[in-house]
Amino acid sequence: MFGLEAIIAHDGLGISVIGISIVFVSLVLLSFAVSQIHKLIELWDKKNTSYQRVKKSQQKDQKTPSVSDLAIPQDVQKASRQFKLLIEWMGEPFPLPKLLDLSGKCGLSHPHSTINEFIKCELIIPAENGYYVWNKQLEEKRSST
Amino acid sequence: MENLLIEFLSNTGFALVDYRNIIMLLVGIIIIYLGVAKQYEPLLLVPIGFGMLIGNIPIIKDFGLGIYESGSFLNYVYYGVTHDIYPPLIFLGIGALTDFSTMLARPVLMLLGAAAQIGIFTTFLGALAIGFPPNEAASIGIIGGADGPTAIFLTAMLAPRLIGPIAVAAYSYMALVPVIQPPIMRLLTTRKERLIRMEEPREVSKREKIIFPIVGFLLCCFLAPAALPLLGMLFFGNLLKECVVVERLAKTARTSLIDIVTILLGVTVGASTQADVFLTRQSIGIFALGAFSFAIATASGVIFAKIMNLFLRKKINPLIGAAGVSAVPNSARVVQMVGQKEDPTNFLLMHAMAPNISGVIGSAIAAAILWSFMSL
Repeated sequence: MFGLEAIIAHDGLGISVIGISIVFVSLVLLSFAVSQIHKLIELWDKKNTSYQRVKKSQQKDQKTPSVSDLAIPQDVQKASRQFKLLIEWMGEPFPLPKLLDLSGKCGLSHPHSTINEFIKCELIIPAENGYYVWNKQLEEKRSST
Repeated sequence: MENLLIEFLSNTGFALVDYRNIIMLLVGIIIIYLGVAKQYEPLLLVPIGFGMLIGNIPIIKDFGLGIYESGSFLNYVYYGVTHDIYPPLIFLGIGALTDFSTMLARPVLMLLGAAAQIGIFTTFLGALAIGFPPNEAASIGIIGGADGPTAIFLTAMLAPRLIGPIAVAAYSYMALVPVIQPPIMRLLTTRKERLIRMEEPREVSKREKIIFPIVGFLLCCFLAPAALPLLGMLFFGNLLKECVVVERLAKTARTSLIDIVTILLGVTVGASTQADVFLTRQSIGIFALGAFSFAIATASGVIFAKIMNLFLRKKINPLIGAAGVSAVPNSARVVQMVGQKEDPTNFLLMHAMAPNISGVIGSAIAAAILWSFMSL
């Protein structure tokens, strides 16, 4: 068999058309994939840098606590006014047992836990020789916000 | 004693020689001459040429010497050709040698590597038309891919008896790229087109080069799984080169390994061209179709580049389309040479490497497709 007859008999045209189409499709896909590699790398790098930026800012935030971190429970805030008057009357620095004794005598509720809360949120801070003082700076900061 | 002497003399090459042996010995000498004096692909032509001399020394049949006689040294070495061991190993070396940066910088040029494969399928049709059976027609068509290992790979699968003529035709045309391609390139382009300057390719990062062989391998082998042995080794070799951490392996693949395999492949392919097997009307047909295939492949690449220019904002020099045939890096060098004849300050080599390398991938895919179709 020769000529067109042989080509048709062996499905030569079909094989050739499909063959060259597959070659083109493969290389077009590869070319597309290759053209995207550098863009994906760029995207990956950007993702990395923005992630690091967020991480850094988070670390920064952890080092300097915001004012919101210094929030004090409302019941403790109310009690703080009465305790502040008491401390002003006692004079600073003051010993904690004396503050505890006086607050009990004045009828303030739950003096132990309240004073404990003050120490936790640093409204009462240690001074020298086991005495304590009222943290005026923190109070000003809170009132300004 | 006289009888012994006569018997010995009757077993010498002088007594056994045939005119066909003389022709093939002359062809072998011409091929060695082309490799040594003209330096046309000497790394291939010198082993093939000498292999032709080895294969065409007249010997007594069944003496266990010939390449087609089982148990002979040449037969053992030829095993690597007939069982498709050498071509993938050569691809490993090519992968470890090749820098894919220019292709990664401008991937659109890969289409030129696809266009040049039109030559393969056109020749396949031509071979069918002149009476070759489909499996042999497919093996002949692949000569247009201008890729010796791919041609051997496919022929060993589909038409083992034609390995000799097809391999010699493929390698000869690869070597003759500087002779065959320039007239076609000039014929199909105007001077203005040959003077087109292409913009510098962008810089390609190391990570891109490392990712490419993995993506390329997965994509190509999912589409054409039969290309696995060739493309698997090609991309693996390239990964060895680019990832840097296995420099010893990459160095071995691109030096010692590819050199050893080239020697074994060249000598045995040459030796397989024994006169009685090689000098047939079929071989003449194969050589004629091979030249046709090569010319069509070159023309397809150039014409496709011109078509691409109709749509591209940044024009490409259509000469680089000729590098779509995968004779790496010979056809890219030819593009550079033809381009510089028009404008000595125009450097097209690096641009031509992109279609050149994609041509290697394209011809391996084409071979895989033909193999798949013929095996159905």
